Amino acid sequence: MTRTAVFAREQLRAPFTLALLVVIPALFVVSAAGALNDFASALGGSLAGDAAVGLSAGWAAAFISGALGFFQAASSRGADRRLALAGLGPARVALSRIAASVGLAFIAAAAAFVALLLRVDVAHPLHAGIAVLAFALLYLAIGVLVGSLVSAPLEGSLLVVFVFLLDAFSGPGMSGGSPPPWAVSQKAADVLIAAGTGTDTPTDEWVKVAVVTGGALVAAFLVFVASARSRA
Amino acid sequence: MTGTATTTSPVLTVTDVTKAFRFGPPWRRQRIDVLRGASLEVGPGELVGLVGENGSGKSTLMQIIVGLLGHDGGTMTAPARLGYCPQQPLLWEKLTVAEHFELFNQAYRLDDATAASARDGLLDELGFAKYLDYRVEALSGGTRQKLNLALALVHRPELLLLDEPYAGFDWETYLRFWEMAERRREEGMGILIVSHLLAERDRLTRIYELRDGRCEVIS
Repeated sequence: MTRTAVFAREQLRAPFTLALLVVIPALFVVSAAGALNDFASALGGSLAGDAAVGLSAGWAAAFISGALGFFQAASSRGADRRLALAGLGPARVALSRIAASVGLAFIAAAAAFVALLLRVDVAHPLHAGIAVLAFALLYLAIGVLVGSLVSAPLEGSLLVVFVFLLDAFSGPGMSGGSPPPWAVSQKAADVLIAAGTGTDTPTDEWVKVAVVTGGALVAAFLVFVASARSRA
Repeated sequence: MTGTATTTSPVLTVTDVTKAFRFGPPWRRQRIDVLRGASLEVGPGELVGLVGENGSGKSTLMQIIVGLLGHDGGTMTAPARLGYCPQQPLLWEKLTVAEHFELFNQAYRLDDATAASARDGLLDELGFAKYLDYRVEALSGGTRQKLNLALALVHRPELLLLDEPYAGFDWETYLRFWEMAERRREEGMGILIVSHLLAERDRLTRIYELRDGRCEVIS
């Protein structure tokens, strides 16, 4: 069996976690979107209606994937490092660990996406699905990156939450003005909002989404490798 | 005591290794010099002990040799094929004993036949064959430690590094451990055992004590 398959099997043996992966994003989309309208207004933003529902799907997938990515990397850090030092090397361990965790991100994104489709009409469902997945993968990468550097569960999870909150509250429609640099999910959010209204997304915007998401995964891989390398 | 150092080349040479840990914010940095020029060596077929008080740096030195920690100064030579049994079992809670062997067999690049034979031999030697399909989360502390030890041995390393390897072992397993160590020693494996308590001194080629960051031969 491949290493990725073994690590994926490890993650699937936590039924409660898998249940939360599905329930939390779905509940968030169904119940929280309305409150986002009011919150955005309080911050001076213009987020409203179906756009709020759409973004809630992205953020729900992002938050869950980020948390799980962190705990996956942090909790298995010792054993993963031992395996790397035993001869597998940090790159192969990193690839297998991240590839297995991508499966979790898919599950969270799928749950959020299905809840979104049930909640509102989405003009471009395929675009919306890809954008929600981009949210999930971006934050999976952030979670793995933090988990590779911070092993303490409280500090690490708070750091992921902090990044998420900065990003979410700075995102499109949440506050007035243009999004700051740390609004990392901005491009995916733009695509998600456009998908809801039936607006076509230009190719260069898709490229930006791919670059940000892919770049985050590469950064997570490199940080994982650096943390798991031999110091001898 | 079972003789003095051999005249063949050592499998492990540690020379004047230094290591300091730094804590606190930059404007109030504290420094603890754990290793201040530690030196030791282990030859093939030697069973060497490393003792010291709690906090003397034994595990730190072991982790430096393995590559888990960097060091500030000094040199080391160790073989590429070494086995490491950490003090705390580094295992995956949701994976089975069999899956652990599977992953480490890949890391050690063992072919299927060699891997199966080695695994079955260790399961038998350490007496935990019946737990092959159990997840680590379902194992007792002693059984986890058996797996922890077995993963360090499955590829027949030239050098075996053991950090408090028998913590949690019952008496029978403790005795089996020493018989196993003796067999490996006779096969030419160099073994370094870190412990804060070594009752089996007669089995050891040499004992180093780590004190004030340096190693001294005490017997």
